[in-house]
Amino acid sequence: MSRFQASRLVSAVGALLLVAACGGTTNTGGGLGSGDLLVGVIAPFTGADAGLGPAYYAACLAAAPSINSNGGIGGRQVKCQQFDTRGEPADAVPAANQMIAANSNLMAVVGCTSDEAATVAPIIDRAHIPMFCMTGQSEFNKTTLKYFHRLVPADVYDAFAMVGSALYGPGHAPYKNAALVFGDDIGSQAFVDPATKSFTGLGGKIVINQPIKLGASSYRTEVAAMLKTNPDVIFTEALGSAGTYLKEVKTQNNGKMIPFIGSSATIDPTWFQQVRDAIGIDDLLKYYAGVDLGYTFSGPAYSEFLTNLNAAASTFADAPKYKQRGSTLHLYDGIIMTALAMVATNSADRTVYNPKIIDIANGTSGATVVNNYKDGVAALRAGKSIRFVGAGGQNNFDQFNNSQSGYILVGYDKDGNEVTAGQLTPDQTSKLIAAGG
Amino acid sequence: MDLYVAAFGFGLVSMSVIAIAAVGFTMQFGITNMINLAYGEVMISSAYVAYYLNKAGISIWIGMIAGALFGAVFSFLLNRIVYAPFLRKGTSHIGMVIVSLAVSLMIANLLLPIVGYYNVSYQDTTGGLIRAGGIVLTTNQIAIIGIAVVLMLLIHGLLRYTRLGKAMRATAANPTLARNCGIPTQRVVDAVWLITGALCGLAGVVAAMNSDSFAIANGAGFLITALAAAVLGGAGQPYGAMIGAVIIGMVTELSAAAWAPEYKEVVAFGILVAVMVLRPQGLLAKRGALAAAG
Repeated sequence: MSRFQASRLVSAVGALLLVAACGGTTNTGGGLGSGDLLVGVIAPFTGADAGLGPAYYAACLAAAPSINSNGGIGGRQVKCQQFDTRGEPADAVPAANQMIAANSNLMAVVGCTSDEAATVAPIIDRAHIPMFCMTGQSEFNKTTLKYFHRLVPADVYDAFAMVGSALYGPGHAPYKNAALVFGDDIGSQAFVDPATKSFTGLGGKIVINQPIKLGASSYRTEVAAMLKTNPDVIFTEALGSAGTYLKEVKTQNNGKMIPFIGSSATIDPTWFQQVRDAIGIDDLLKYYAGVDLGYTFSGPAYSEFLTNLNAAASTFADAPKYKQRGSTLHLYDGIIMTALAMVATNSADRTVYNPKIIDIANGTSGATVVNNYKDGVAALRAGKSIRFVGAGGQNNFDQFNNSQSGYILVGYDKDGNEVTAGQLTPDQTSKLIAAGG
Repeated sequence: MDLYVAAFGFGLVSMSVIAIAAVGFTMQFGITNMINLAYGEVMISSAYVAYYLNKAGISIWIGMIAGALFGAVFSFLLNRIVYAPFLRKGTSHIGMVIVSLAVSLMIANLLLPIVGYYNVSYQDTTGGLIRAGGIVLTTNQIAIIGIAVVLMLLIHGLLRYTRLGKAMRATAANPTLARNCGIPTQRVVDAVWLITGALCGLAGVVAAMNSDSFAIANGAGFLITALAAAVLGGAGQPYGAMIGAVIIGMVTELSAAAWAPEYKEVVAFGILVAVMVLRPQGLLAKRGALAAAG
């Protein structure tokens, strides 16, 4: 062997070792490749919205064993990793860049809340990584980002449902005067305009619109100002600060709460615990009303999700708390659908399997309905086309990769489980949307 | 008008909470020359000590004492085990700031898996409501104001009328000269860490009570407010920190009443910036309790 050949051999071996040392591989051709695959959970794990990230991480921890215990994706195991955005766009951008640069084996990204979606979604899209974002921002209603997927309706519909709860909800006369108390973050403020238009359009009056600084040590003056306007009801999404604010409402209102209606994000175990500890369980059950997507929390997909979520407690002790968190269910489904899309296309090339996700979710004519990864893989191997109906129910993506579904009116029981309180009729829903523009 | 009166009352509570934290922070800096950015995390750690005791059925007032003791011991050990070895090796001032920042992050991340990321509340800490001339406060908020006033008087008495206080002032003014004059500066520094740590711990419990609901993430917020009051008053000056606390506490609440509440901290910190531009050394620099004698 000549010296030139020897040096080339050494270089080649060195390059191979370097690639091996870098961990995962990205398959750019056919086949599913080898090595572990990663689901990046990019969300706030610290900061005022720190309660959001764990709900999404729990989804991944539940989805991974569903895939891994059934042969993986062509033998490749799925892992989950947190990437903390702190709920701040400025922190989210470097977190997204670091996630992408350091992990060539990303199969999907989940999380990206309203706090950071506007900044990280384009970055993830440019890297051609399928993402499932838990943002309700209207700017994604007609997004051109091909790798963006949203399994929940835009916040405007959440806001309309809250107004619907105030006007048509069970157990009370229609509320006339409402206070809007939303966090000053991007995500929470997205509710203000549609809620205002819809409520006032149907004869209600917004007596005060109070954006509050999340994470402040107290809201005494804000609460005093709000109480002076004598609202019948408070519309709120002030995650992380709800306990402080509502306790001060109760204190300054001589120990009596005012009815409060929360967005779907308030159906969350950490929110429940925070508010319960602050104002007491009796007042929480009596005065709280929420809205949520119409989950059944039953069926084969949900059963498998629940089993895996409970098992995930060995990795993340709080995982079982998210058994009724809508976003946890949806992101679980998103990860399973992505895995099935990879199997269906027999490709780890994200540009190849990304469009297939929509087919798996919406189904095509004659598709076999499957409820878990195992059945999906079996059907695909039998040459069938499939439609995945997961723990969060059926998905219906539009051309902008938004999947829409209807709302129900809910509350909590004393253990923090969601309880259905009522439903909005199609006529009521039409009125709310028409009034809200 | 009622709202402004109410906001004034709330400002009394806010400034009391800030004062306890800021005086501890500024004394720590004034005497040991150490900008301890882990102060907020020690505060929140102490708040959790009180929380677990309170959860076990112990009164929050006893929890407050436990929090103060925890803060004292934790701060003392932090100095002895982490900061002092770096100082002995001649680590620069900015280097020590980075060390304390690292300690802050370590405490926060070590606490996270222990206490969780979710908000918690003390039990039965509101007390009865008292209304007087537009001011609406709970008995516990009045107790917080009382605690702050007593502590400020005690700090004043300590620094002005006790041997330890005089030794602290001498150590703050010139540690080498103080040592040459026979003052056991190492013991003085230990005492400072214990006393300011106790203030820090107590401030953490009071701040958590004041918030009604708190989480590990609040530690950073506690630090920023204490730091702002300390800098506004003149770094290292306990009386300055008291004045800084009054300004920040009052401005925060009154601005929430006057303008959009989401900007209340912006207004308070805007005033801080304005004061820093006009008087970079702070309001009471060279005139405070820890200034050089004569």
